[in-house]
Amino acid sequence: MKQFSTLLLKEWRENLRNYKIFWIPVVFILLGVTEPLSNYYLPQILDATGGLPDGAVIELPDPEPEQLLVAVMGQFQLIGMLVLVLAYMGSIAGERRNGTATLLYVRPLSYASYFLSKWLMASIVALISVWAGFLAGYYYTAVLFSAVPFGEFLAFAVTYSLWMVLVVSLVLFASAAMPNAGLAAGLTLTVLLVLQLVDGLFGSRWKWSPLKLPNYAASFLDIGPDATALIWTLAISLVCLIALAALGIWFSKRNRAKTKV
Amino acid sequence: MMDERTILLVLPILVLQFALMIFALVDLIKNPNPNGPKWMWAAIIVLLNIIGPILYFVIGRRNY
Repeated sequence: MKQFSTLLLKEWRENLRNYKIFWIPVVFILLGVTEPLSNYYLPQILDATGGLPDGAVIELPDPEPEQLLVAVMGQFQLIGMLVLVLAYMGSIAGERRNGTATLLYVRPLSYASYFLSKWLMASIVALISVWAGFLAGYYYTAVLFSAVPFGEFLAFAVTYSLWMVLVVSLVLFASAAMPNAGLAAGLTLTVLLVLQLVDGLFGSRWKWSPLKLPNYAASFLDIGPDATALIWTLAISLVCLIALAALGIWFSKRNRAKTKV
Repeated sequence: MMDERTILLVLPILVLQFALMIFALVDLIKNPNPNGPKWMWAAIIVLLNIIGPILYFVIGRRNY
């Protein structure tokens, strides 16, 4: 436990000094704010770019506030996830190259503490970012259009948070398993893309899958997801989380020989 | 064209963009060994909104 808190302190300082704890949330807030704002100013934007001929009349329906929050989630799914993957791809693989690992591995190190301290810190940064982004999006949507019921919003954000933690676990696992940071990011993005494609094509055949977490999160803003499907999905996601962490710990121990001295 | 309401709405975005730029520039100045010439990264950070600082932090910082 003492080792874990020491390593966590190291991770905290590292995230503070390379500004990750500042810039990643700022990117998410910008993503969250841009969506409602650009929808609000859509008529003026169309006007300024001069795309419409004289006399053309189009009625733009006011977007539903729920749709805007789902659109914000879509931005997180694309740019947000890319930013998180690229920011944390090197957290273990990179340490083996830049010498930090040499300093750590010569000591009697508990690899569980080592991996979990990194996982906890990365998850904290991801959660701060997601919540800051969603709250910013929620606030702007409420000011410019109308408010989504806060309870629904909370359920939506909590469900999506679990998905983000799962993504972070995948990145850290890949970083432990792969020899360098680029391959770790490649593996993570390939796995995410392929699984999402499979789920998109054949996903109607099953209801329980961690990949459906964003969908279920979004459906909280609508009619609410099917309760049993949601519970099983949560259970399977938890199992995946534990499996990824266990594999990550195992790989970070096995791959310590790949450290560059 | 720019009424007061618009300015109030867009101001937070500008402040955040500026903050992101400052974070990236401070880090670049302190960085002894960025991935590429410093003046190039300074230009990218200042000229490309939002994307520039992200690119610097992800590629230019060499933290792996």
